[in-house]
Amino acid sequence: MSHPPTQAPAAEVSPFDAPARWPLALLAGSALVWLVLSSLLALVTAIQLHTPSFLADCSALTHGRAQALRETAFLYGWAGNAGVGLGLWILGRLGGHPLRALNWAVVGTVFWNLGLLAGMVGIATGSMTGFAGLQIPRAVQPVLVAAFCAMALPGVLAWAGRKREGTYAAQWYAAAALFLLPWFWTATQAVLLWSPLRGVVQTVAASWHTQSLVSLWLMPLALAAAYYIVPKQTGKLLPGYESAPLAFWTLIVCGGWSFGRHLIGGPVPAWIPTMAVVAQCLLLFHFLVVALNFRQVFAGGSLTLQYLRFGLVAYLLTGLLETITSFRGVGVHTQFTLLVPAMEQLTLQGALSMFLFGGLVYQFPRIIGRDWTLPTFVSGHGSLYMLGVVISVLSLGWAGLAQDALLNHSQTPFAEILAQLKMPLLLHTAGQFALLAGNVLLLVAFLRSAAASCCREEGAAALRPASSAS
Amino acid sequence: MKNRPLFLLGLFLAVLTSWAGFVLGSHGQLGSLTPFFDEADGQSHPARLPGLAARGQLVYADLGCAACHTQQVRRPGFGNDQARGWGERQSVARDYIFHAQPQLGASRLGPDLMNLAGRKPQAPSADDLHRLLYTGSAAHPAFPFLYETREIAGESSRHAVRLTGAAAPKAGSEVVATERAQTLVAYLLNVNSGFEYPEARPLPAKSPASPEAKK
Repeated sequence: MSHPPTQAPAAEVSPFDAPARWPLALLAGSALVWLVLSSLLALVTAIQLHTPSFLADCSALTHGRAQALRETAFLYGWAGNAGVGLGLWILGRLGGHPLRALNWAVVGTVFWNLGLLAGMVGIATGSMTGFAGLQIPRAVQPVLVAAFCAMALPGVLAWAGRKREGTYAAQWYAAAALFLLPWFWTATQAVLLWSPLRGVVQTVAASWHTQSLVSLWLMPLALAAAYYIVPKQTGKLLPGYESAPLAFWTLIVCGGWSFGRHLIGGPVPAWIPTMAVVAQCLLLFHFLVVALNFRQVFAGGSLTLQYLRFGLVAYLLTGLLETITSFRGVGVHTQFTLLVPAMEQLTLQGALSMFLFGGLVYQFPRIIGRDWTLPTFVSGHGSLYMLGVVISVLSLGWAGLAQDALLNHSQTPFAEILAQLKMPLLLHTAGQFALLAGNVLLLVAFLRSAAASCCREEGAAALRPASSAS
Repeated sequence: MKNRPLFLLGLFLAVLTSWAGFVLGSHGQLGSLTPFFDEADGQSHPARLPGLAARGQLVYADLGCAACHTQQVRRPGFGNDQARGWGERQSVARDYIFHAQPQLGASRLGPDLMNLAGRKPQAPSADDLHRLLYTGSAAHPAFPFLYETREIAGESSRHAVRLTGAAAPKAGSEVVATERAQTLVAYLLNVNSGFEYPEARPLPAKSPASPEAKK
């Protein structure tokens, strides 16, 4: 195995990036649009938590539907688009050839986003499937799988046809994520939508899918970005890199097993929550190695490293908290309370999004060949987002602890519980507002940079003779 | 990782074993559960949901009720589900075999609804549920889009919601439950798991547990 790449000049643009510029910018742009939409919906659901009547008389935005819309826009829209964009870029650069079959990626991206749009309309009008994490209406799901295969094709080709024998951790994670999603998503569709299993086995399959979505698809893409960027930004080899393969396989093998921590005491076979404890304990090794590999992020000061640092801390906290709450004695308190969404926020907004932001902020100037036009907006996004995540995770955690005491250890009526949780839930709303504001800043910065790059290209094209303009 | 096909095969096998183990494994264990025939009352349990209620489950799913309500009672010692009157016993897999799509839920911003019809000390009536859905309460949003306000033409509708106070419609009109509201309420009132299956009995029984109880 080769050593991880070392530092590159700051304005490095590899010759591989030019042909991939607009396909990758399309992925990044659609990701950011979905991100803003999902944070808008997150604000709606946050307000509904303390004021249940907010927009509830609008049938498209009942709390259940708004949650489903938010989650779909976030997972498939934001994280999916951004992660695939980063994965393709990394596989192309490390594979040693320009990306091939980029037309497929563009067509796939267009259909993926149109499919998601159709799915969102479907959810709002009452066709959601009712499985958390998989709410996209059944008619749309096969389209999304097909679109994803087209999007992922250049990445898998770059992996299979790579120039060098040695591979990097960033490549394993990216290739695994792009390769695995169609398989397990199709398997889930088969047993939930086309030939549904009986009774609670559906719940098992749906929870398995949601966990796999994060552990086998989105997190590997985010980790790929981190593995690619950290050595480039710090200019040093990753410490403990020889353990990275084992950490990778631990995540791939055990990542999907830990969904049972949400089913403690439920009407499912008792070995499923037990396997979650086993899986979480094994995954501690993965988290340990990731912590070792990335410990240099604490030294650097660039914005990318700040994002990655925050993401790393959140990722490690996630691993620790998920392990603790997978034990029955603890899980019985956290289950069904707001501590669950608090931890989900930590995983998805804290770890996943931060790694992806780190990747995006690093990638975008390199693919368009110019620095961010509005760097203050980007750093403003960083500050607002980090602030928002901290506020919202802490306030939800506070609300969850209070809720556990009132719900599980007393007879307090639900209206009373709600009244007592009002303060932390208002804080949570403030946190979501900060996230939304930050995301709008990033979208504006993205659009300005992309527009500036377009203008420059047009200007350059006008100066060249017509024959060579293409 | 140098061997290209082996890497992809390894990935594929990792996911395949996980899927087969969890999904097919629990299907093998629970997929063939049959209703339990009780010789004492000559009936099998659980009963199928009546047609109206079965359609109501779709409304429950598409409105996303599971975002705030669970449908799973935990056993004594896990929270205080019994003390809140949500059910005498824990929910077991057999309770759900006739649910086209079990709505276990993962959040309890509202009460558990597994046993709404058998709620102690007093189960809500259809009227109570319609009133809650139409007017809402401090902790529950109102869903007026499930109801229709119209002029009373001749006799008042038998699906009219009995409302008093500020929520009451003006004289000569009535608030009528749409079909979706009717099916939803029928569903909520039919989800009931009162019957005590052998596997649902609390574990510290005097006699050795039956083999099924270990499931």
